[in-house]
Amino acid sequence: MFKKLRSKLVITPWAIWLGLMGIILLSGAIAGIMVFWKGLGITNLTDRVPWGLWITIDLSSIALGAGAFSLCAGVYLFGLKRYQPIARTATFVGLIGYTMATLALILDIGKPERFWHSMVYWNTHSLLWEVTMCVILYLTVLVFEAMPILANLEWLRKHLPKIASLMERVHHYAPILAIIGLGLSSLHQSSLGATYGVIKARPFWFKPEMSVLFMFSAIVGGISLTLFATMLSSRLTNKARINDALIERVAQIVGYLLIGYFYFRAWDTLATTYTYDPGRSEGLHFLTKGPFAFNFWIVEMLLGMIVPMILLLYKPTRMNRFWRMVALVLVAAGVVAFRWDTNITGQLVLISYIPGAAITYTSYQPSWIEILTGAAIIAYGFTAFSLGVKYLRVVDHSLIEEDHAKVKVEVVEPVTI
Amino acid sequence: MSEKNINRREFLKLTAVGIAVAAGTRAVTSTKASSSAPKGKHQWAMVIDQSKCIGCGYCTLACQAHNDVNPNIQWNKVNEGDMVADKHVFLPRPCMHCEKAPCVEVCPVEASYYRDDGIVMMDYERCIGCRYCQIACPYDARSFNWEKFSGENPAVPEWGTPEVERRPRGVPEKCSFCYQRIDRGLALGLKPGVDADASPACVVVCPTGARLFGDLNDPESSVSKALHENPSFRLRENLGTEPRVYYIPAVPAKEA
Repeated sequence: MFKKLRSKLVITPWAIWLGLMGIILLSGAIAGIMVFWKGLGITNLTDRVPWGLWITIDLSSIALGAGAFSLCAGVYLFGLKRYQPIARTATFVGLIGYTMATLALILDIGKPERFWHSMVYWNTHSLLWEVTMCVILYLTVLVFEAMPILANLEWLRKHLPKIASLMERVHHYAPILAIIGLGLSSLHQSSLGATYGVIKARPFWFKPEMSVLFMFSAIVGGISLTLFATMLSSRLTNKARINDALIERVAQIVGYLLIGYFYFRAWDTLATTYTYDPGRSEGLHFLTKGPFAFNFWIVEMLLGMIVPMILLLYKPTRMNRFWRMVALVLVAAGVVAFRWDTNITGQLVLISYIPGAAITYTSYQPSWIEILTGAAIIAYGFTAFSLGVKYLRVVDHSLIEEDHAKVKVEVVEPVTI
Repeated sequence: MSEKNINRREFLKLTAVGIAVAAGTRAVTSTKASSSAPKGKHQWAMVIDQSKCIGCGYCTLACQAHNDVNPNIQWNKVNEGDMVADKHVFLPRPCMHCEKAPCVEVCPVEASYYRDDGIVMMDYERCIGCRYCQIACPYDARSFNWEKFSGENPAVPEWGTPEVERRPRGVPEKCSFCYQRIDRGLALGLKPGVDADASPACVVVCPTGARLFGDLNDPESSVSKALHENPSFRLRENLGTEPRVYYIPAVPAKEA
């Protein structure tokens, strides 16, 4: 009996991966319980900086989940059918991203047990209300969009074939779901930017471009992360079957999109210098010459946009899988850096209400509790994706639409007997 | 295949109808919610005379006692400003009770709302603690309850006795112009701003009479008169929030 158990406990890279993720998840869960028990007092958030690391994780996971709506819109609405397998992966990444965001939000709000209030008490003036509603509705859409993927679970096919085939049939509504998803995503991805953009108390944020920037960077970053995750899983496991030509084409599109993103971000930043506005100019200084200069110039601009732009538009490097992967992960990291820089810079520059008072600065370092829970949220994302690759054929470019239909018939038949 | 196309077209139609209906409901609800405070019978306002304020901080303490505020939190903060003519100038800052309050606009659950007398109120039972209002407030008037306030309130009983419930952990709180005193006073037939029992605690306790409170709708009220007779300013007026707290500067500008 022990022999049997020992033979099951072979240390494979997969087991090490799961173990590592398990440790991070466990420590994060303990930290999370501490937060619910002790309250937000154990974080480093203050009245000056009430939105910190968690909000950044929340914003980033929503942004990087944007590959789902952009690729689904491309495949089902604009007729780019051949990219369907990538849209499939993107849908799963989106589902993970949005659940990550929900987890981060539940931690972040002071009264987590009242999370449902946003669905019952509507303030239609509030950007955050709109974002919350859209995220809830879009998460529902994503669940439906992911149904055919979840139906791939071996256990479900075996034991509940009727439900599995029903879940597969949701695929026929993919175009409709793509329309709803496109609408909801366009609304909340841009509104997340507007959440900051409407805050007139903080001139560094107060500008209409915020919506455009958030939307644009989400599309670029979201597609990049999906492609990167796809390529990485094909390197690590034979469970992932990819069609590299497809990825290469989409990567080229990302390269072109990056030009647009770079233009907008650079223009937005430089245009801030046209006028002096107390707080705004200091924010710009803080971002481009102060403590965030490395983040802005190196992580966001150079590594997040210029380097991947070259790598993805220059054919030899794009055809090289290693450089393509490097470029894609850099884009995703750059988008995260953009969210972090924007959120934090706007809060660290303090504009006094006292007439004539000088601009002052504050600082913020996330506490260990915030870092542990944040790491666990990210680890949840990694774990869910790797499980998806292993058990749900999330990355399987041989599984195309026609194949899908065949699988469906096979499953339906035994049920009707 | 053709069947699928018809389905899709029908669904597109349905979606369009759905969006139209959703847009319709939104339009209806948005007429209900207003982006600025409704105008009721009374329009409460406060005038703070900086030439009289000596920075003693009694207002802060009385506020903490009457509203049972955590000693770490100041609804009413007294800031020390520059020297003007060898005298210290102070700037006490309660909630501005803006006519176009950013906190009310951004709150996702309408936990911050306007009363028709202009007071910007907080529904602590509805608030989810997202802190967007803190991000949006141009006056730092909101403090979050990072911890539960348990134990003794050091300002009680010396500076007054609590008149409202303590706020729970996890919601932001702010000055309410002592709405409880106004409401009770009005019910008793008293006049807020004139009768101490109907006026905000900070106004009552101020030893130099630097604070005036009253109804802007009443031309005979102390605030209306003071604003008529003196030059005044409001904080961050360029933002268009229309605060209801006015300041009379320490050195009045010479009249042209």
